[in-house]
Amino acid sequence: MTAVAVGAVLALAASCAGGSQTSADGGTPRDGGTLNLAIGREPNCLDPHQSPSAAARVVSRPIVDSLVYQDRKGAIKPWLASRWTIAEDRKAYTFTLRDDVRFTDGAPFDAAAVVANLEHIVAPKTKSLLAASLIASYESSRAIDAHTVEVRLSEPSSSLLDVLATPNLGMESPATLTRSNDALCATIVGTGPFASPGGYRQQQGIEYVRNRDYAWAPAGLGHTGPARLDGIRIRVASDNSARYGALSSGQVDAITTLSPVNLRELRTADGFHLFSVPFPGIPYSYFPNTASGVLADVGVRKAFRAGIDWAQIVKNVYFGVYPSARGVLTSTTLGYDRSQESAYAYNPTEAARLLDQAGWTGRDAKGYRTKNGARLTLRHLWSDPSIEDLAVQVQAAAKELGIEIVEENIDEGTYVDRILSADYELADTNFASPGPEVLKVLYGSANVPSPTRGLANNISRYASGALDKLFLQAAASESVTDRLRIYGQAQRQLTADAAVFPIYSPLSTVAARSGVRDVTFDIDGSPSFYDTWLTS
Amino acid sequence: MADLLTSTAPRDEGLDGTPGGGGRRRLGAPLARLVLTRVLASVAVLWGAVTATFFLLELMHGNTVDVLLAQSQAGPEVRAEIISRYHLDDPLPVRYFAYLGRVLRGDFGESYMLRKPVWQAITEQLPDTLVLVATTVLTTVVASVLFAALSATRRRSLRSVVAAVESLVVAVPPFWLGLVLLTVFSFWLHWFPAIGSSAPAGLVLPTIALAAGPVAVTTRVLREGMVRALDEPFVMTARTRGISEPAVRLRHTLRHALLPATALLGWISGSLIGGAIIIETVFSRRGMGRLVLSAVQNRDMPVVIGIVLVAATTFVIITVLVDILTWFIDPRTRT
Repeated sequence: MTAVAVGAVLALAASCAGGSQTSADGGTPRDGGTLNLAIGREPNCLDPHQSPSAAARVVSRPIVDSLVYQDRKGAIKPWLASRWTIAEDRKAYTFTLRDDVRFTDGAPFDAAAVVANLEHIVAPKTKSLLAASLIASYESSRAIDAHTVEVRLSEPSSSLLDVLATPNLGMESPATLTRSNDALCATIVGTGPFASPGGYRQQQGIEYVRNRDYAWAPAGLGHTGPARLDGIRIRVASDNSARYGALSSGQVDAITTLSPVNLRELRTADGFHLFSVPFPGIPYSYFPNTASGVLADVGVRKAFRAGIDWAQIVKNVYFGVYPSARGVLTSTTLGYDRSQESAYAYNPTEAARLLDQAGWTGRDAKGYRTKNGARLTLRHLWSDPSIEDLAVQVQAAAKELGIEIVEENIDEGTYVDRILSADYELADTNFASPGPEVLKVLYGSANVPSPTRGLANNISRYASGALDKLFLQAAASESVTDRLRIYGQAQRQLTADAAVFPIYSPLSTVAARSGVRDVTFDIDGSPSFYDTWLTS
Repeated sequence: MADLLTSTAPRDEGLDGTPGGGGRRRLGAPLARLVLTRVLASVAVLWGAVTATFFLLELMHGNTVDVLLAQSQAGPEVRAEIISRYHLDDPLPVRYFAYLGRVLRGDFGESYMLRKPVWQAITEQLPDTLVLVATTVLTTVVASVLFAALSATRRRSLRSVVAAVESLVVAVPPFWLGLVLLTVFSFWLHWFPAIGSSAPAGLVLPTIALAAGPVAVTTRVLREGMVRALDEPFVMTARTRGISEPAVRLRHTLRHALLPATALLGWISGSLIGGAIIIETVFSRRGMGRLVLSAVQNRDMPVVIGIVLVAATTFVIITVLVDILTWFIDPRTRT
């Protein structure tokens, strides 16, 4: 079952990983060989213009390049565009394109290709589930000359470059964009370091071959020129044990998304290597229904936050592999505000005081707090059955506090209904995303789910005019520093209002046999195999 | 299901208009009539299957568009576009009859989730499932005949031991068996590939995991029939004529046990698509099982109904085949 968020699926299945990200693993890189990789979640569609899933980003990235590259620190660097200028009103961006780039079908990459891609993304016929909303302010684009393109926006945007750097806005060969949606879901053609002539086969996987002409990798990666691998073969193996067994018995070179148990085994096993990086974005968190029910009272929310030893629970459940979260964003996200960490400290005395203050002073026969005879009960909707271990420990900790949590592991349809009708006190999810803009997705008042709005990601149902104003200011801000300062303010408001109970930072993991070197990660946490090489 | 288990050829006397009942009948006409009535009944079954699936999915919680968009950041405009494109806001009867009309014209619609024609989504996955089901049925037939012939003894103690083993096998959840097989024969012994192989070697473990239950059940039914037949006078006669024991069992008693086992096998074959859901997931195989699982989770109505139709058709074809087979095995059903 799926949670509201893009990242939830990936991260929950990913479950933890140990060590640090290892790059430049030592030894002299050699060319050649095919990497056999088994992934846990499959995309419904390969085309990143159409598909919203993290799995689609992983499988399409080797094929498509973007106009600009965003490095792990959030800095924007040239890629297919060698430079750009931004108009004073920040409603027009002019890109100068590299003139030596070709798609793998032989077509030249030029200004007309950029226009064709942007138009394809926003065309209603494409039914884009993510890319089009990422560039919601897009108005038009035009080729000024063969290698200069101007993009016009309906309102100022300071994050357009970040968005253009994602695979979802990746460049596909214009001739292919006239194909039907389902044809593009199987085969896409880009300018990337790999090509996949056979395309993606549902439930089976995808095979890539090296693009030998590739000479336009962004600066700052491990090498330049064509990729080191001859090819990559990705197979889909959704069962955790089968995928792990395939790795441990040497049937594949690498796998993504390990269960905590497998991960613990692998950390002590010889012959394997773990690549991992924390997902940027929203940590895995419990979200209170701040609009109705007992958690509409900020005092109760603060008590719940202080009264549970979240860090200890994370340690118990995930063997110390996942870093526990102490902020609205994960600590590796661009613009993370460290100053708020102390607000997330464990303090049971303060929690008890807050609950007394909020009027929950009675106790019933089972030891739960009551107010006017009613028990302090929170109904928690599960995003995914795999959270059980964590949920049970939180439930036990809450009981110490005198709060009853009713765990509800329900089917997806019921989950959607309950979220739409605000029929819950707690829901959980996480949301991987490169930058702090994700705060608007989760806390903007326009994104509160309702039967008329439909499902959306503000499951805290947090609606604040002041916060909405901050989001607008951030979008129109003059500089990166300004923008991050405003998002810092937003994090402080959300912390002060206890609008979320952050729990841990999920990790993106690739486990591989030790002969696999230099697996890296993009800013969104997706693994990248451009630098990867095999020792044998 | 119950009538399938005990199914024999239709014996409606009213349909049997052959004059001169006492004389020897031609075999062709009754067989043709059998097939015809079965085909007509099948159309009704298929219509029922489509209708039931359509309304059951309607009863499920949640609405299609929100489940579909659950993983996206799509704005209200995209949501409205999807609702109008797939006519999700039309009244229920309108959608039902529109769908029925399209199905009659052979148009199964487009998958909401996979963004491709349902027929294409199904035909991509169908061959892998059919191969798995076919090897499973074949394994079931061969193994159960073999085991039944070996274990059909009048010694009560031995029979109860074998019966206990069978009960155990039936009780083992297929996914668990699949994982055990994977661990032993793939991860430890490296005899078979663990994930997603379409080579023949990749079929061995899934087939064993899927066939284990059916083999146990069919063996038991066969054996009981054989044991009963072993007490019949004709067996004594055969033995006195000096026919070897294996020949007595395979040629004489087996035939008597085949009738209930064939009916049972027909039902098992039809239900294997359900079992394939789990096995295909455990062994990372392509196939209809995984397709239907994700389609139900995502309320991808066109795909679900398409698969139900395919499964129902398969079921119907197998039932007709079983009836024909029964007709040949047992002369009593040819009246």
